[in-house]
Amino acid sequence: MTVATTDGTTIIGESILISGSLNGDEDLTVRGRVEGTLTLTKTLVVEPTGIVKAEVQVKNCVIAGVVVGNVTATESVEITKEGRMVGDIAAPRVIIVDGASFRGRIDMGEVDVESGAAPRRAAAAPARPAFRPAARPAAKPEAKKAEEKAAATAPKVPAPPAPVAMGAVKRKVIVKRR
Amino acid sequence: MAAMEKVSTPRSGAHTVIGSSIVIDGEISGDEDLVIQGTVKGKIDLKESLYVESSGVIEADIETANVEVSGQVTGNIAASDKVELKADCKVVGDIRAPRILIADGAVFKGNVDMDVKEAKGK
Repeated sequence: MTVATTDGTTIIGESILISGSLNGDEDLTVRGRVEGTLTLTKTLVVEPTGIVKAEVQVKNCVIAGVVVGNVTATESVEITKEGRMVGDIAAPRVIIVDGASFRGRIDMGEVDVESGAAPRRAAAAPARPAFRPAARPAAKPEAKKAEEKAAATAPKVPAPPAPVAMGAVKRKVIVKRR
Repeated sequence: MAAMEKVSTPRSGAHTVIGSSIVIDGEISGDEDLVIQGTVKGKIDLKESLYVESSGVIEADIETANVEVSGQVTGNIAASDKVELKADCKVVGDIRAPRILIADGAVFKGNVDMDVKEAKGK
């Protein structure tokens, strides 16, 4: 038994084909082929010679070989410059380096969407109750319509371009036109 | 014997290890040595050696050149060269190989056939 040297790491050699389901709680290095489903609680490394055609569910995934199928990772997915992948990725961290090839969708979760939308709302919010909470919101949409109307009919008054800055007088004019 | 030479030169470079926490349900095939410390159910088809370590559990039919069992195997084993059952192993199933070694302490239940493969292997 001279062969058994590695502990805690599984290696699928170059000439090995595994078809079916593979589950485990340790790191897995694929140099051969794995087809079916692959579920790990640790890291999957697909080396340049490795081919994985499977639904993959892991903690971390490093792709330097070929992966065809959807990859779901609880931590990260990294496609290195040798890596090629076709399929969807769902992971909070996705790293694709220069030279990697990938086709599919990426879902990094809800976190980024919310944090991206929050600044937009924050920027819009203080603009509304700035001066007169009641007057401003009413004036804005009317002003736009007034501009359109003024352009269509007759540009008599030069008021419409600046309804935002001024308060009561301009607003009255606008209301009349409507 | 040509077969002996082939066995005595194990390929140290490329070999596959199935770790102790790994469970494979399906088929494994390949042309290189395979070490199993985990669990494999289904079928194993190799052209080289299979090592089932003491933590290894196999519920599969095995077809290889060479098998060394220290763990548990449930299923039929067909080897073109040799099957070795080490001490503390547990094997249930039929074994077919030209050379079969059973060590003291090994637990085995099944049939042994040393003839068929040699006649076929010509």
